[in-house]
Amino acid sequence: MRNFLTFIRRFRVLLFFALLQGFALSIYFTFVHFPRAQYLTTASIVSGSILEVRNDLTKHFNLSENNTNLQKENIALMDRLPFSFVQVNNGLVKIEDTTYQQQYEYIPATLINSTHDKRNNYFTLNIGSKQGVVRGMGVFSGKGVVGVIHNSSDHYSVVKSCLTESINVDVMIEKTGQFGLLKWNGKDARRGTMWGVSNDVELKKWAAVVTRGGGGIFPRGIPVGKIEKATEIEGKPLWDITLKFSENYTSLQRVYVVKNILLEEQKKLESLTLNEHGL
Amino acid sequence: MSMLIKHIVRFLFFILIQVFVLNQVELGFGVQLMVYPLFIFLLPVELSIFPLLALSFLLGISIDSMSNTYGLHTSALLTFAYARPFIFKLFAPRDGYDTLLRPNIFEMGRKWFFKTFGLLLVIHHFWFFLLEMFKLNELLFVLQKVAISIPASFLVCILLQYLFVTKSSDK
Repeated sequence: MRNFLTFIRRFRVLLFFALLQGFALSIYFTFVHFPRAQYLTTASIVSGSILEVRNDLTKHFNLSENNTNLQKENIALMDRLPFSFVQVNNGLVKIEDTTYQQQYEYIPATLINSTHDKRNNYFTLNIGSKQGVVRGMGVFSGKGVVGVIHNSSDHYSVVKSCLTESINVDVMIEKTGQFGLLKWNGKDARRGTMWGVSNDVELKKWAAVVTRGGGGIFPRGIPVGKIEKATEIEGKPLWDITLKFSENYTSLQRVYVVKNILLEEQKKLESLTLNEHGL
Repeated sequence: MSMLIKHIVRFLFFILIQVFVLNQVELGFGVQLMVYPLFIFLLPVELSIFPLLALSFLLGISIDSMSNTYGLHTSALLTFAYARPFIFKLFAPRDGYDTLLRPNIFEMGRKWFFKTFGLLLVIHHFWFFLLEMFKLNELLFVLQKVAISIPASFLVCILLQYLFVTKSSDK
């Protein structure tokens, strides 16, 4: 016992250091991989409200660019309204039909904090679980995919952005339908990589890459970027595709959170199938 | 007493400048400005290691919680604080440290500051980026980030001392 006490006394500095260091490292690794609580992230009420004040001060810096983007988005939407169409078939009676059912709802949000030059970048949104945001929902902007909700508190939420290593959004080449996963190499905030396309496929430069909508996180066809470069990976039958993101994440402010109404149904069906095979 | 208030104000100041100013500055090429180790560095030399580690944990966790880095800054800062006494001993003047002198660029001299703070900052940055990547095959990229971030952080640290430390020390 005495030896034990002398041991502790002798190494007390190192032990104290190891204790604190162990605590810090365990938060780091658990939060990056399985976020449980939001106390130590910007989703907590203290950090969230401080960041909101800062955002109030700095949000005007990119105002003109954001306004132009909103305007473009409005025009695109207006093009689809009934008054932009000429009536071709006269004399037909329009009836309410049930062919189409709404699958996705969109919740508007504002980015109040973001980084772009870290290895893994997270964005903070000013809406949280009170507005119906839960972990796993998709986030996109008028120009492209932004990320997936990582965790949320009552009034704020943190987005795991496309600028993280393992974002793994299901994407596909719009024309040919080849699909793969979106990754980021940590170097350039304007470029990402697409992983998993077999190298016997011919690729066109500047071919558009969009979301595939496989996991029920994003609707199909939200733009991601364009193919800038493709090189062969040595020893693997795959292309290493470099994408130029269609969204400029460094000046991003207005985003939409995707709520998939039919997600539960899809998940239920999928788990049923898995259960049948005993997986 | 006034010393204590000064350090509390400095603590808050470093959180604010790191989270709201330097974290938002993006110079490209992976440059990341980190000046909060300067707070730990500027604490009195005779302060024992326990309050030093406790303070660096507190400062690190405050910065982490506001920049979504989840303990990354804390871990690097703890390493910085742990190494501080060793490095200080390594570069100690011949007859030990004068307890009246504060460890800053003016009172201890430029040469001493460059050596001690430079070496400690290398440890801090290297630990930080290594942990951030957590992949040995990207070691070259880690080294690149360390090599270009250190001069940038170092310059800002010197600038901060010229702006704020002089006024508080000549009383």
